[in-house]
Amino acid sequence: MIVVFLLLYVAPGDPVQDMVGERADAETIARLRKDLHLDEPLPKQFILYAGGVLRGDLGKSYITQRPIIEDIRERFPKTLLLAGTAMLLASILGITIGVLSSRNPGGWFDRLSLGFAYLGISFPVYWVGLILILIFAVTLHWLPPSGYGGIKYLVLPALALGSRSIAFLARVTRSAMLDVLGGDFVRTARAKGLKERSVIMRHALRNALIPIVTVLGLDFGYYLTGSILTETIFSWPGIGRYVVNAIARRDLPAINGSVLFLSVVFVLVNLITDLAYAKADPRVAFN
Amino acid sequence: MHTRRYSFVALAVMVACTGGESSPARRSLIDSRDTYDPRSLDPALSTDVPTGRAVGYVFDGLVRFTPDAQIVPGLAREWTVSPDGLTYTFHLRTGVKFQDGRPFVAHNVTASFQRALDPATKGGRGWPLYPIAGAKDYADGKASSVSGMTTPNDSTVVIRLTEPFAIFPKLLAMPVASIVPDSVPANFGEHPIGTGPWKFVEWKHDDYLLFAKNAGYWDTPPKSDSLRARIIPEPSTAVAEFESGNVDVLYVPEGETRNWEETDDKKAMLETAPALRVFYIAINTTRGPLSDPRVRQALNYATDAAGILEGIVSGRGNLAAGVIPPSLAGSDTTRKRYPHDVAKAKQLLAAAGHPTGIDVELWSSQTPPFPRIAQTVQANLAEAGVRVKIVQRDASSMREAARSGKTDMALKDWYADYPDAEDFLYPLLHSANKGVGGNVSFYSNPKFDKLVSDARREQDEAKRVSMYRDADQMAYDDAPMIYLFFYKELYAVQPWITGFVVPSIFTGQRWTDVQITRHP
Repeated sequence: MIVVFLLLYVAPGDPVQDMVGERADAETIARLRKDLHLDEPLPKQFILYAGGVLRGDLGKSYITQRPIIEDIRERFPKTLLLAGTAMLLASILGITIGVLSSRNPGGWFDRLSLGFAYLGISFPVYWVGLILILIFAVTLHWLPPSGYGGIKYLVLPALALGSRSIAFLARVTRSAMLDVLGGDFVRTARAKGLKERSVIMRHALRNALIPIVTVLGLDFGYYLTGSILTETIFSWPGIGRYVVNAIARRDLPAINGSVLFLSVVFVLVNLITDLAYAKADPRVAFN
Repeated sequence: MHTRRYSFVALAVMVACTGGESSPARRSLIDSRDTYDPRSLDPALSTDVPTGRAVGYVFDGLVRFTPDAQIVPGLAREWTVSPDGLTYTFHLRTGVKFQDGRPFVAHNVTASFQRALDPATKGGRGWPLYPIAGAKDYADGKASSVSGMTTPNDSTVVIRLTEPFAIFPKLLAMPVASIVPDSVPANFGEHPIGTGPWKFVEWKHDDYLLFAKNAGYWDTPPKSDSLRARIIPEPSTAVAEFESGNVDVLYVPEGETRNWEETDDKKAMLETAPALRVFYIAINTTRGPLSDPRVRQALNYATDAAGILEGIVSGRGNLAAGVIPPSLAGSDTTRKRYPHDVAKAKQLLAAAGHPTGIDVELWSSQTPPFPRIAQTVQANLAEAGVRVKIVQRDASSMREAARSGKTDMALKDWYADYPDAEDFLYPLLHSANKGVGGNVSFYSNPKFDKLVSDARREQDEAKRVSMYRDADQMAYDDAPMIYLFFYKELYAVQPWITGFVVPSIFTGQRWTDVQITRHP
């Protein structure tokens, strides 16, 4: 929090000049600086701000005069929805593709999925987003190009946001599965006469989960904070765009508040990931 | 196998259903032009374009702009000016109601102006009202009310100015001078109530604003029932929405201009209007060799403005030989811009004592098309021996640096707030506006100042226009900027839309005449 605060106040740019717009007068600027305590020494500004945060008050936006906490409350659930859907898509598609490719390494499906994985990892998300819009919205008219609404508005941005993870997860799952499938317990399971489906799903996949959960956990944090481009391309009214706008306009309380909030979320996600390890592998205990 | 065949059929049906040109089933008008969330819907806070546009839908001012930037009566039926040019008497419309049913009376006018100026409102945009006597003192907290406004009766407002200012009514068409009702609640910015043609319905932040027809509007009510202003930050996405038929009008991005102009069915949808917007490079006239007018002229000669206009903004505009756009009175369209003449530039630099050229910094923001213009200028100036270092910063940092005089040259554009040559000459070049006021050339020429100040006071239109023309020429010869070009708006409008006229000024289109017409 201190670092963000200091960085912002040291950075060039002046919130008041962004408030008043292009044509202004010196008296108005001086008065607004005073109103916003921007003329106070930095430590005092920080104490004023930190005091507010401790009381659960993130302050009001300089630009819009709305409480920051309301802005976050309005936008964060939308980012969470997008990130959650992207992650769900990524896990379903990524793990399925990974498992299928591990069944027959070097086969046509494996090679095809490898090709797509390289593309998925290499293409920047805004490019993937625009291509998805071009194909599924402009050409085929199956889905709306952008905006926020029902499930049909969710598909394209979630795919775009998840594209990197689908590719990455597919590769991670494949190699984890190949490691596990060579294990003695898999031979045992097969020797017991279990069906191949059961061998894969109940025995092999379960043991391959640790690296998969790690990737998912790391990616989820990336989704929440890195959804800025996706939200911009798809006009998705989430927290990423809010932060970008706040930075562009030097809306200090808005930047401080949302960065603080996102940091807390990031820590929580990491905690949940660690707890999920224990669920995936009983050997990981957390006492 | 069965399901596969089924999905294949579904796919074929879906593709077959996607007609291109038919009008949409929706009845609501949809705009795509806002790229970021408005600051607020409170007129007193209208310092940005999306805010100003939305405020113009919900509210009225005493006067307003037409799409071609003419000024017409709004809540004032008519007005008279005293012979000394100091007193304006506005005769108001009677029987006008706010959208919550309360009547509009003269007192609302003075209260609205006072509120916009009130330091407690923290709007930051009092200047359009500063010509009113006592307004500046009130805004600075030195007076308890604005002395220059009186309301002799419910339908008359008398406004006294500190000095004659013939174009004052134009400033009253700006969003900040909109009329609001009494006892405005704290959340007015989220729930605005005005007398305008559209009622506010809902605002989903960063998503859209929705307005409904105000059936009881005192002027002709809108022809459509609702208007949705979508907020689409990415221009390519706006294009995709337009091509999908989901929005009715589109700013055609500069980079797509050629594509649209050269495709027949797209070309048919294009509409254009001259924008009151100039692109220029402010030369800080107080820094080193740049204080010599010969050096500044040399920079103008060395810059291939025509090449930039053609190559970077696809020819969307006219070369600038002065700061007054060609659609405004006072512009001298016979004046030719400094030709691209490298030899002449070198000669001027040598004459100024810099035979080996000079080193300068050119600041630019990261927003397209500025970085590409900066690079081209850098290459142009290099030919004349001017070594340019480009400093690229985000818009906010750059603005602060330019205003505090830390930039040698700053690549900028300027949009008019009201359609008058004064809105270019005065903020950009008058010494009273050095720095934060807009004059980041720090240009100071007493003769120019006097001419512009006198023009502001001049009541005779013809005389005033000729003074503007002279002032523009005077500054042009001093070259406090590298003159680039005046921009031209290029919109695409769906074939099913009637009544949409591309506005020259951003508050000039209120969608009242626009509707979706169905072709059988």
